[in-house]
Amino acid sequence: MIWEVFRQERPGEYHAHCGNVHAPDRELARQFAAIQHGRRKPTNSLWVVPRDEIGEIDAEDVAFGGTTDKSYRWATTYSTAGADASEVAESEDDQADAEQRRGES
Amino acid sequence: MNLETVRARAGPRAFSPADDLPEEYREAATRMIEFHANSEIMGAYLERPFIRQAPSIDRKLAYSAKVQDEIGHGQLLYRAAESLGVKSREEMLEDLANGDGKFLNCFHYPMESWVETPMIAFFVDGAAMRRQATLRRTSWEPYAHAMDKVCFEEGFHVKHGEDILRELMTGSRKERRLTQEAFETWWPRIIQFFGPTDDRSTHHDFAVSVGLKQRSNDELRNAFLDQYIPKARNYGLEIPDEPRIREREDGTYEVEEGDLDWDEFFTVAKNEYEPGREQIRGRRTAQEAVQWVREAIERDGAAGSHAPRAAD
Repeated sequence: MIWEVFRQERPGEYHAHCGNVHAPDRELARQFAAIQHGRRKPTNSLWVVPRDEIGEIDAEDVAFGGTTDKSYRWATTYSTAGADASEVAESEDDQADAEQRRGES
Repeated sequence: MNLETVRARAGPRAFSPADDLPEEYREAATRMIEFHANSEIMGAYLERPFIRQAPSIDRKLAYSAKVQDEIGHGQLLYRAAESLGVKSREEMLEDLANGDGKFLNCFHYPMESWVETPMIAFFVDGAAMRRQATLRRTSWEPYAHAMDKVCFEEGFHVKHGEDILRELMTGSRKERRLTQEAFETWWPRIIQFFGPTDDRSTHHDFAVSVGLKQRSNDELRNAFLDQYIPKARNYGLEIPDEPRIREREDGTYEVEEGDLDWDEFFTVAKNEYEPGREQIRGRRTAQEAVQWVREAIERDGAAGSHAPRAAD
């Protein structure tokens, strides 16, 4: 049985997928995950999940983000006057970054 | 974990559902996040009629996207609140419908005209974002994670709201006059967004001591004024004489708290302000009207049925 492993490096961060392990049950999956994925890189917590329990939907099934022009959804579309609040500027930068990377794929 | 340990360990994203947390922490966090979630929902209902009233197709698309986002933020926050184990999502939504759920003062006031929309979409959202940016460092990890996504999306809302204000304030003389009038009506409520001054705030000290809140009401209100007074003036809005606002020597601002109507604020906060009760009833009626949709979705889900589609 295959268990997918998600590692969180520090408290408060997101658990990100980092690999998988073979194990007959949850207890051994946790131990194997700790050994295989929790030793070398900084680790605060691991999640182990039976692969069969994971639902997947990919870019062949669906056009993520849709197929229509949604530029009205981005802060970058609106040109306003004067310096923006730092958190608004940060949000706009993150959106510009996401928009660009979506365009690349 | 006892309260002393919580205080000692309190820091950004310090506590997760894996931790055994004392009742006091879980209740305070639930109250705070439930209030936030309710506010997202009630704000969306306040703005929803303006999807229909938007003056152009571009505005209609953007406004509809924004309202959809706010409902999504509500859902994220109910999840973050539910993970504290005090109240279920159903209980919180039920309380909101029956008038027990509390939410932001600004969303108790009716909004009747398009010129009012930037008062919410720019100033209230701008105020909310000031606060939400600091909550990315809250001690309840699921709340902080929700704030990551909310802040990512919210920049568009604020910029779009500002764009509406820019358009109105560069429009006809009548548009400028009506926008100024709307601003004068909303300005005191917007300042009260941040709640009463620190020494009258009921829950502030506890929330800070366990890391739920990062900044005080006063600090946030002043940070808002510093950023948004220049913005308002930039578009030709005149700041009303009351409440009096003092400019410090370093160019930052402070409001004379006594000039604001705190009796009305606390009436609003208790859901006893009649126009606010109308907002609550309006949402409940809308919920009942679309009950058949929820039932259809549940029936459909139970049957197994079709492949899911990503939200378009």
